[in-house]
Amino acid sequence: MAEANQVQMDNDETRKQSGAAPKTSTPVIEIKNLSKTYYRGSERVDVLENLDLTIEEGSFEALMGPSGSGKSTLLNLIAGLDSPSSGSIKVAGSDLSKMGEGARAKWRAQNVGFVFQTFNLMPVLTAIENVMLPLLLTNLSSAERKERAAIALKAVGLEDRMKHYPKELSGGQEQRVTIARAIVTDPRIIVADEPTGDLDRKSAAEILTLMGKLNTEFGKTIIMVTHDPAAAERARVTHHLDKGQLAL
Amino acid sequence: MRLSTLGIRNVTRSRFRTVMTVLGVAVAIIAFVMLRTILSAWTQAADFAAKDRVVTRHKVSFIMSLPGKYLTEVEQIPGVNQAAAASWFGAKDPNHQNEFFSSFAVDPESYLAVYDEMLVPDAQKTEWFGNRTGALVGDSLAKKFGWKVGDKVTLKGTIYPGDWEFRIDGIYTATRRSVDRTSFLFHYDYLNEWLRKMRPQAADSRGWITTRIDRSQGAAEMAKRIDQHFDERDVQTMSQDERAFNTSFLGMISAILKALDIVSVVIMLIMMLILGNTIAMGVRERTHEYGVLRAIGFLPKHLMTFVLGEAATIGFLGGVLGLGLAYPLVEKGMGRFLEENMGAFFPFFRIPPETWVMAMILAVVLGLLAAVVPAYQAAKLNVIDALRNVG
Repeated sequence: MAEANQVQMDNDETRKQSGAAPKTSTPVIEIKNLSKTYYRGSERVDVLENLDLTIEEGSFEALMGPSGSGKSTLLNLIAGLDSPSSGSIKVAGSDLSKMGEGARAKWRAQNVGFVFQTFNLMPVLTAIENVMLPLLLTNLSSAERKERAAIALKAVGLEDRMKHYPKELSGGQEQRVTIARAIVTDPRIIVADEPTGDLDRKSAAEILTLMGKLNTEFGKTIIMVTHDPAAAERARVTHHLDKGQLAL
Repeated sequence: MRLSTLGIRNVTRSRFRTVMTVLGVAVAIIAFVMLRTILSAWTQAADFAAKDRVVTRHKVSFIMSLPGKYLTEVEQIPGVNQAAAASWFGAKDPNHQNEFFSSFAVDPESYLAVYDEMLVPDAQKTEWFGNRTGALVGDSLAKKFGWKVGDKVTLKGTIYPGDWEFRIDGIYTATRRSVDRTSFLFHYDYLNEWLRKMRPQAADSRGWITTRIDRSQGAAEMAKRIDQHFDERDVQTMSQDERAFNTSFLGMISAILKALDIVSVVIMLIMMLILGNTIAMGVRERTHEYGVLRAIGFLPKHLMTFVLGEAATIGFLGGVLGLGLAYPLVEKGMGRFLEENMGAFFPFFRIPPETWVMAMILAVVLGLLAAVVPAYQAAKLNVIDALRNVG
């Protein structure tokens, strides 16, 4: 618990330094009339159509739906990985629909933590080096980066695996390193795309418990795409998408 | 950890491929250095030529002889301090049939006076001057054939057939790089004796005349003056300063030199393609990882830096290894062999300093150029497409 408080203190300090908004109960994600259209050759594919969604800061929400329903596209838009075809999407106080790719990249580095289904750690870097990776984009000194990465790894229970390479870790441990990497910059939002998809039941439960802690103890807003009803149960709110629209 | 850590770790990621690529670059660098050194060594003889020597030959061709009396006349021309004639002999040692060395018939005293950079101990010099069948050989040739002063050797004449018997009276060394230390010199009188008997029409003729001139006269002016002297004769002359004379030899092999020049560039281009292929493969394999890096906030410029840094590192490592191997292989091994065995063409075979620098710069710069396209492709990756890529 003392370590958790240490992380919280560091997180609050980082937010002050980065100028990010303090935590409030105001909406952190405001989506209005959002549409996303792709073209496969000459064929038009409307992935999301006139979608409205508001997510409060500090919530833990799941996005469910069949394949092709648009949940991953919505997650990518919330994370600033993609830009909408129309409508507006405000996340953490920034209107992403008006930002270019370069500005979105900088915004992502400060505001979003990513947890992927396939972990996506750099195989040539140790656990602590993987966690330090996002901090390379900050002005922190080498010692500060190392300290923060170590705290993040402790927070996910991997303080004894800091110098291990990804191939020396189990799937559950790899995913915990990914979570440490996601929280090390103290982002306001964590987006998770099928975080338990490649894990066994026990490891999946551990990861979901850890994400729950991040939400309840650290106040992180978590948006999670999942096919797994058991995973969705951990979220406070579950949104169902079907054919690009929120199902009521 | 720094940004460069990831780039450096990526270099060692596929060790076999990296080692093979570094070796490929190293081999290309060795080949480049070798060819550039050959080109440089080939022109060294011309570059180190004496500025106060003029060579006079038959105007039509180098292989045509000059009348013997021309030597005396050249000596009389104002500005000429000393003149020496030489005739190409062309002979082989029956014990070393495949070994080439140059052999000349000369007037010993005047020849050594004109080529005063050839050093011969006084006792050996005196012995050679007094022995009609005596020979003076370069120290490299003596070492190569195992000849010592006092040895009797029999050479097979190629232009002047028959067995020619000599006694090695002296071994010369040299103070100037342009001197071939694999030559075999003997008395012109010995050859002329044979000519009078076997080819009387060629008796007393000389291959070419080398003159030592008064420095104040200028080599070009003296060459002109000598040619003017013989302008109205049946056999006209062509005189050149020693550097121009040596360069005219290079002119005969200019096509080969040009080819070597082009091949050295082609080798570096091949190296660039090998390196470019390795880097492109790496970028393709890491598409998904680049997607992750872009997702967590890295910019296209960061990815470009990773790719270019990796290529420059491989180029640098290959360059260092190549140059490290080039020194013992090209300069110490091949160079020593060529100086001793082909001293006429390569009197001074050393890797020039500018070749060291150029090879290292090319290894890194061509490495960077090879990675420009893969780096651009990495920078232009669509984040979502890259994340979907499973390699």
